[in-house]
Amino acid sequence: MSRRRFLETVAKSGGQSFLFGSLFVNTALLKLPQAGADAKSRAEAEIGKGVIYGFVVDTTKCIGCGSCVRACRAENNVPDGYNRTWVEQYTFYPDGEVFVNSPNGGEDGFAEALPTRNRPSGAEQAPMRGFFVPKLCNHCIDTPCIQVCPVGASFKTDEGVVLVDHERCVGCGYCVQACPFGSRFIDPRSHTAGKCTWCHHRVTKGLLPACVVSCPADARIFGNVSDPESTISRILATNRVQVLKSYLGTRPRTRYIGLDSEVI
Amino acid sequence: MRHAGHFVRLLALVAIAAVGFLFVRSQVIPKDFGVKGHYRLSAVSDEAAREPRHLGSEACAECHDDIAAEWTAGKHTTPQCENCHGPGLMHVKKVSDDSTAGYPDKILTQYENAINRGTGIHECRWCHLKTFERPSTLKSIASVEKHIALRKGTFTPDTKCTDCHNPHTAIAK
Amino acid sequence: MHHYITEGYVLPNQAHIYWTSMIVLYPYITGIVAGAFIISSLHHVFDKDELKPVSRFAMVMAFAFLLFATLPLLNHLGHPERALNIMFTPNVTSAMAGFGFIYSAYLFILAVEIWLVYRTDIVHLYNETKYPALKPVYWLLALGVLDISEEAKALDRRVMVVLAAIGIPAACGLHGYVGFIFGAIKANPWWASPLMPVIFLLSAIVSGVAMVMICYIVIHWVKGREINGECVTALIETAWYFLIIDVTLELLELINHAYMANEDWIILKELVTGKLFVSMFVIQILLGSVVPFLAMGAVVVFKQRAPAAVRNVIGVVCGVLLLAQVGAMRWNVVMGGQMFSKSLRGFLNFEIDIYGREGLIAAAVILCLPFVVIYVFSRLLPLWGSVETFPKEWMKERPPVRQPLKGYSKFTS
Repeated sequence: MSRRRFLETVAKSGGQSFLFGSLFVNTALLKLPQAGADAKSRAEAEIGKGVIYGFVVDTTKCIGCGSCVRACRAENNVPDGYNRTWVEQYTFYPDGEVFVNSPNGGEDGFAEALPTRNRPSGAEQAPMRGFFVPKLCNHCIDTPCIQVCPVGASFKTDEGVVLVDHERCVGCGYCVQACPFGSRFIDPRSHTAGKCTWCHHRVTKGLLPACVVSCPADARIFGNVSDPESTISRILATNRVQVLKSYLGTRPRTRYIGLDSEVI
Repeated sequence: MRHAGHFVRLLALVAIAAVGFLFVRSQVIPKDFGVKGHYRLSAVSDEAAREPRHLGSEACAECHDDIAAEWTAGKHTTPQCENCHGPGLMHVKKVSDDSTAGYPDKILTQYENAINRGTGIHECRWCHLKTFERPSTLKSIASVEKHIALRKGTFTPDTKCTDCHNPHTAIAK
Repeated sequence: MHHYITEGYVLPNQAHIYWTSMIVLYPYITGIVAGAFIISSLHHVFDKDELKPVSRFAMVMAFAFLLFATLPLLNHLGHPERALNIMFTPNVTSAMAGFGFIYSAYLFILAVEIWLVYRTDIVHLYNETKYPALKPVYWLLALGVLDISEEAKALDRRVMVVLAAIGIPAACGLHGYVGFIFGAIKANPWWASPLMPVIFLLSAIVSGVAMVMICYIVIHWVKGREINGECVTALIETAWYFLIIDVTLELLELINHAYMANEDWIILKELVTGKLFVSMFVIQILLGSVVPFLAMGAVVVFKQRAPAAVRNVIGVVCGVLLLAQVGAMRWNVVMGGQMFSKSLRGFLNFEIDIYGREGLIAAAVILCLPFVVIYVFSRLLPLWGSVETFPKEWMKERPPVRQPLKGYSKFTS
């Protein structure tokens, strides 16, 4: 149970005892959160409220082909030099060094294998382990980008998708600064903020996002989290998932399987 | 207050400015702003109105049924048609009713080039070049030169993967 | 927007710097406003009479700079034509959305205050200007009310004190608020700090006092007028006090980052010792803080015993150094926060443009515009003192003591 949920539960159940006499110890405050309460409260929050989209990235499956990046660029006409989604390559060496790379966002694949490196001692060392991590907008529940937009040009739809109104955006760039994940940019053609929309124009027509369709490794899973029977709900119910920069409290809706601590 | 004439005029100016601001404000705010939240509601439908450009392999199979049959029977079914050939929307528009008018030339050529690709070695390298981070279960080669040398062939600048492999089935020709 | 050369791993969308010279300039300009206003308030509200020679000028300077505070922002916006959306549909949760209202309110307070200070002079000059073309200008400035009776003046004074008293928190609010825009961004470890508004405010005051001090001494030198020693000493003292608190907090901020040594300190350390070394340790701290601290400290210690020429030179030189200090601080915050990626693994090599919309030349032009306004103002109204100090050649001659006899006037003129 997250701290927020805990406090909300406390506020709900504790209201009455506070009403009838705050002199008595509020029993709800002393109750420890029970196992499974998090899943339950998440279900309560999301099930039965219509369609709420979610996204799961399975980093253990990603092969780093860059299909998602290419599909996204073509589908959404993303300007050169900017990315709505990108793939990062992480390579670990025995001495603890980590190399992170994302040439052109991974759009042209990762053709060059990282060479063996020389240790300071002179001895060669081959990489120890490595993996790919696809990234995209986290469509946070408590989004810092919508929070800072001065004109109300950034907003969240009922399905939890964070969008930009290109007719009202003034192009100040504050949302770009406020996004902890580097998901936003100012489109040099429209001078307004650009970002991943989870292919809102596709998913509202019953199609999957372009990156999900094009992924040959099933590393990207998209679906309706308020439907307990959906693929994504089953994956969320049976996996340990992580989010990026959870300490910032933005509560991302994009969740990761197999996230390494070096991924920030 | 007999000597406050200048303040009266000042306040009048402020009042005019405030009323003017409120009037302009009432005129320029879209009618559907703030209906659901602090945003223009029709921005959602604006976004949803965009045309999907990736049509899916089923759409491709409607015309290219021979290749689709070959593809579904082969061992290379995880990548979709549009992964290598690019999004199909413009192509379909062009061959069906030529309704691509209105799209910028740059985009049209981009898509035309994409739909004709899939013949080089570039597309195969995206997945099948060996990198440390790729799972070992994925068939991959360290370099095209080495791969050909190993197969006792000769590598020329014109060599393509498709000379030996059928990309639709992943079975050697 | 450029694609900058990067080192290490930079997130794809961060290979661009979105806020450049204009966003450095904007807090710099509002800072000068806040500082100049504080100087004038020290005289008007706190009765620091030593500052009387500069109190009017400081107010005009605050006003002139405030007029152009929005220009860098408009120049930066992707869609300046939509700028008023910030007041039409302000988003209450946005730190930036308040800007339109805070700015307008402060501009209004400042404009009314200047108007009240100068109203008597406006009416005098309406009657006495030599140029008929200026008469309607003065009439408009007086809002068509030429009442300068003692009762009206007394009322003006009362309103003035109230406005000055509101103006001080408003000035602090405006500038502390600018710091909040940066300090409230949790995504950027170099910005996110509750100290940011305080540091912005204090450095604002330092830069405003420095600018007033430089202008006062230089303009009086050039014009060959007498420089008031007590006034210069008081300005140096004020700048010195605020500099001490300002630099203390700036260092505290840095030391706190280093001592807490969070995840982000690894990259922040490389940032301050690498890309920001010159602008931070050399300009901001050594030249901009230590040198003025010692030089102005000497004036503070020796007071009137210091020779006037030495004091004035220290005033100008330290004023310039302080302006550089505050400029460097703005640069280090705004640009420093964008020179590293949120991947915390890479840097951008930022090079400022010379030409172009957000280039150095554009910034210099914007920084000069307030001085144009001050110059125009000085042609219309006395900058430094009351109407007696206004150049006589622009005013009608005082009515001659001997009235010409009726019917003979055409011969006398």
